[in-house]
Amino acid sequence: MTDTIITDGVAVRGRTEGAPPRATRRSWAWVGLVPFFGFLVLFLILPAISVFQEALHNTAGRLSLASMKDAFTGQNFDAFKFSVVFSAAAAFVGVVFGTLLAYAAATATRPRWLRNLVSSFSGVAANMGGIVLAFAFIALIGPQGIATKALKYFGWNLYGGSWTLGSISGVTMVYSYFNIPLMVLITLPAIDGLKASWREACTNLGGTTFTYWRRVGFPVLLPSLLGGFMLLFANSFSAYATAKILTNNTKIVSLRLSFYLGGDVNVGQDAIGFALAAWMILITAFAMIVYWRLRKKAERWQQ
Amino acid sequence: MAAVNSRRGSRLLPTVVLIAAAVFFIMPLVAIARFGFQNVPTVLLGWSSLFKKWTLDGITGAFRDRNFGPALGLSVKLAIGTVFGTIGLLLPTAVWVHLKLPKARGLVEFMTVLPYMVPGIALVAGIKVIQPHARWFLNSPYSLIPYYVVLALPFTYRSIDAGLRSIDLRTLVDASRSLGAGWGTTLRRVLMPNLRTSLVSATFLTVAVVLGEFTISSILLRKTLPVFQATYRSSSPRGAYALSVLFLLGTTAVFAVLSLLTRPKSARVKKIDPVVAAVTDEALATQGLAT
Repeated sequence: MTDTIITDGVAVRGRTEGAPPRATRRSWAWVGLVPFFGFLVLFLILPAISVFQEALHNTAGRLSLASMKDAFTGQNFDAFKFSVVFSAAAAFVGVVFGTLLAYAAATATRPRWLRNLVSSFSGVAANMGGIVLAFAFIALIGPQGIATKALKYFGWNLYGGSWTLGSISGVTMVYSYFNIPLMVLITLPAIDGLKASWREACTNLGGTTFTYWRRVGFPVLLPSLLGGFMLLFANSFSAYATAKILTNNTKIVSLRLSFYLGGDVNVGQDAIGFALAAWMILITAFAMIVYWRLRKKAERWQQ
Repeated sequence: MAAVNSRRGSRLLPTVVLIAAAVFFIMPLVAIARFGFQNVPTVLLGWSSLFKKWTLDGITGAFRDRNFGPALGLSVKLAIGTVFGTIGLLLPTAVWVHLKLPKARGLVEFMTVLPYMVPGIALVAGIKVIQPHARWFLNSPYSLIPYYVVLALPFTYRSIDAGLRSIDLRTLVDASRSLGAGWGTTLRRVLMPNLRTSLVSATFLTVAVVLGEFTISSILLRKTLPVFQATYRSSSPRGAYALSVLFLLGTTAVFAVLSLLTRPKSARVKKIDPVVAAVTDEALATQGLAT
């Protein structure tokens, strides 16, 4: 008798606490995310939308693609071309040397602290963007730099021609200082994910080192390498602080945009500035979405 | 023997790579240190003057500059505000997602990387559009704080999320709640001590980003420390360079402390290190990619 009552009670309570209240609990649970989403909307999404809002309207306040077109033709197009080329070059250099360095550090057996040193230093150097990095390279290889002087001593006058730190090779070199370590941080876990047993299996099946890399190692690393490329590309493309100190080359899109934001431009020209920003967002977002998908793929092998 | 030899041979390339990398990464540091602390123009630099006139007056001069104090003060206040804003916003959100809304995890994770898709300089363009409509807010230099919280979001969230994954969250919360603690007490006295490592790493990384942030503050004409460094260079290059060296040493020390604090207890556990992951993400924020 008592038993039935208890079971009944449980059953009844189970029913009342079961299906119907769960629906309300679910809807309440989403409310907990309102502060977070609201914050992102106010301080990230709203500014981003405002950029497109300005870029897609002409001075008369009508919807128009004219500014978007102006921002992607003529001199502005040259700037985008220059920026895409140097960002791709910087990303390529970063991927190649970053992977080599990560591999060298991961496979080094002798000084045991080497691997930790490389990964810790990469953590610092990957974050050494901005004005400090620009200062360091100006001190090294600017017109008054010590390397410039040393090279001149050996008969190579860096600044004899039109070369500056703002040219493609100059920017690529400076950005490599944070791109290479960033690539090290990305590929170290991927290289650790290559299991020794795969290599043994390959050897047992008669494969050479070359076969191993072509059929196993490289395909496994590929998503990390491609993802790293997209990430470094976006990283170089959107960098501003370093470029600002390094050069006044207006072919770098982020610098070009900053001159529009300085405020001394005609009202009609304003929209072109915002259109530049809109294109920057589109290009960076594209690169980052590709990176995000590749990263998910790469993480499969790193469990 | 042959095997040993071939292995030796294959070490040649890695060794060359390591040495070349060491040269490439050390030289700019040597150069900036020389400029910051040696009072000899490059033209006069030679073997005879290599060890002469090393001095600290660049940095003492920078400290004495009347704009230095306010700039440092502003940057420090922004850093503190950003740290509190970040933890205040992200910790409850992350706990909520883990406890009540596990299926929203993917969505929230995606939202936290959204800042990567808007370059810093493009975000400022957006802020400039909003400025005339929100002067009451954007006139204050502290209005930078929420934008810095966004800037730091990808790696701070990752760090806190990794911390929450490593503890038995539900048991801790249930135990605390059944002993009569409210949500606030549970957060402060149970969860925060257990998440100490990931909160400390999120804090350090945030501070490093805020103290180095140049893009947003320079365009919005806020006189933060990096903006001071950039303008001070025209009056005293040596002072600006010396300050940069000091900043670098500080950051390096912080990272060293961080890696000591967060070193995994068993060295053989090979997981994706939350700190490495967060540092990787932070690197993007520094370049102005995040936001």
